[in-house]
Amino acid sequence: MSKPKIAIFSLTSCEGCSLAILELEDQLLDILGAVDIVNFREGMTERSWDIDIGFVDGAVSTPTDIEEVEHFRQSSKMLVAIGACACTGGINTLKNYQDETDCRRYVYGEKFEWFPTIPAQPLSNFVKVDAELPGCPMVKEEFLEFVKCALAGKQFRLPENAVCVECKKKDNLCLYEKGIICLGPVTRAGCAAICPSYGSKCEGCRGLVSDEALAAAGVNLREQYDVALEDVLADFRLFGAYQGSELP
Amino acid sequence: MLDRMITHSAFLELVDELAGKRRIIGPVARGERFFYEEVERAGALDLAFNYCVYGPRAFLFPPTETLFTFQQIEGRFAAEAVVEDRPTALVGVHPCDINAIRLLDRVFEKDHPDEHYLSRRRNTLIIGLDCPRPCTDGIFCSDMKTNEATEGFDVMLFPLGAVQEVGASGKGGGGDPQAGPSVRADEPPAAPSQYGVVFGTPTGREWLLYSHKSTVPTAADERALEQYHRSKAAAFRRAIKTPSEDLPALLDRSYDSLLWEATARRCYSCGSCNLSCPTCYCFNIYDELDMTLAAGERKREWDGCQLPKFAEVAGPHNFRAKAASRLRHRIYRKAKWVREQTDLPGCVGCARCDRACTAKISSVEIYNQLAEEA
Ligand code: SF4
Ligand code: SF4
Ligand code: SF4
Ligand code: SF4
Ligand code: SF4
Repeated sequence: MSKPKIAIFSLTSCEGCSLAILELEDQLLDILGAVDIVNFREGMTERSWDIDIGFVDGAVSTPTDIEEVEHFRQSSKMLVAIGACACTGGINTLKNYQDETDCRRYVYGEKFEWFPTIPAQPLSNFVKVDAELPGCPMVKEEFLEFVKCALAGKQFRLPENAVCVECKKKDNLCLYEKGIICLGPVTRAGCAAICPSYGSKCEGCRGLVSDEALAAAGVNLREQYDVALEDVLADFRLFGAYQGSELP
Repeated sequence: MLDRMITHSAFLELVDELAGKRRIIGPVARGERFFYEEVERAGALDLAFNYCVYGPRAFLFPPTETLFTFQQIEGRFAAEAVVEDRPTALVGVHPCDINAIRLLDRVFEKDHPDEHYLSRRRNTLIIGLDCPRPCTDGIFCSDMKTNEATEGFDVMLFPLGAVQEVGASGKGGGGDPQAGPSVRADEPPAAPSQYGVVFGTPTGREWLLYSHKSTVPTAADERALEQYHRSKAAAFRRAIKTPSEDLPALLDRSYDSLLWEATARRCYSCGSCNLSCPTCYCFNIYDELDMTLAAGERKREWDGCQLPKFAEVAGPHNFRAKAASRLRHRIYRKAKWVREQTDLPGCVGCARCDRACTAKISSVEIYNQLAEEA
């Protein structure tokens, strides 16, 4: 089998996720031995558009992003969204709740009119996405696992449990015991519960684990806890895990 | 009947000596809560702990472990088992957790003996510490008859000093049998000055006797133990309306109860109840390949019956796709099926599941509501 040709693209984002790939120092050489990276702005100047797997970080938030993501899709046999921005819209979606012109003026200053924008959205709102590696930033180990699966012809599956599972495995005291509303019970595991392990609540950067869990959150936060629902909603919105105007 | 008496400080000296031969695991304060952790010295242990957030099961059955490594060399497959045998001592294990370990022992030795667990277990010395009163609110170990342990330990300590002191100063639950627990159960009891010792195994006896640090119990010590048991019996209150031996029948009648749906609408299926339970023993098996794709490890990790995909099989078909059926399954396991299969309690009433549940789903409430319906 010839080496799979891999590309790494960025849309609206901090490009932290593509950088995370370069941070896989210990395994990077192994990966480079097993694949051909043919298109990667962060790491190379030559580019090709004959791509087996295209990884994309960043949300779609401008008309140019739409054109680009369509081009990435057409050029890649398999398209993989990496990071919260690409999977749920990520932190960019915060602008979706603000006045669009104000926002643009803030970011681009005087020339704001030159930069048209649309509400920030995940790739899957525009093109077919074959796999998602969520998280802000994406989890390096998960990326590695994805690449191994692709090379071995195995199906890659995201964890289907909540972050709480990883928190328990790490022997953490649950933040609810300190009166903190953590989004772990509704958020997809895979990050090794890194935030609760350092004492911060989970903010759902890996997206919702299931609609049922979200529905349970709606019931529990209304019936079992005395909390301001707007505050919880703000946490849900931070990484675009849930963008409805009310909890279900 | 007591086998020996030992003072708190002599006991700590013994544990310090043991630390040269075994890794020592015991209760350690982390903020306001206690956790089982590895310690270098006995002085780091906090034997006046109320309860540990999780039981010591992770030291016998770790959250993730490698079962064997494998590799393919020139087309030939080779595997090598990984079995841990590090000498360990669990120090300060309450009766609920000792009963939970008994269940794990039974489960991992029956049918297909699980050498990974059993090897760790064989190399583990268990030093129990009895509870003079409920360790915290919400527990129901006395309902499950697991607030006492008759076997499953090498040595059991009864904190007799604590009862005498607490009783004398009038601030504890030990003094007045009529009063019940008068201190807030969350407050850790004062460190006991001495322990009554009961041996559970020859290994435990040998360990405690070799150093001559303990003494022969006197008639007064035996009376103190009797008093201890009386005040203990008075301190534990029933939490579950149905006696534990009748819970299987109660559940038999409750399969179609509306309670399961009504309660499960709050359930996140997060599995915290399972993963914090000292009697849960389910695991999932998977392979991890290295970058060569020709070598790797077969691993297992904790699983839990409340997790959404627990009952997913090929197809894929999930025969407990709904949260309500998973919640019912867990409760049936804990109060009926495990008991029927092993003759041991499937739940030791530690209430860790209830405390861990961020949806505030309480197993005690479930049993009591079912009893009201029935
Ligand atoms: S998901 Fe986070 S780290 Fe990744 S590109 Fe977006 S903002 Fe940056
Ligand atoms: S701290 Fe958060 S993630 Fe951890 S167990 Fe509690 S709710 Fe779950
Ligand atoms: S704990 Fe939550 S917010 Fe933190 S990395 Fe994991 S999913 Fe993201
Ligand atoms: S801890 Fe509570 S919410 Fe989570 S699975 Fe168990 S019962 Fe459901
Ligand atoms: S079911 Fe709950 S109370 Fe019973 S042993 Fe497990 S965690 Fe403890």
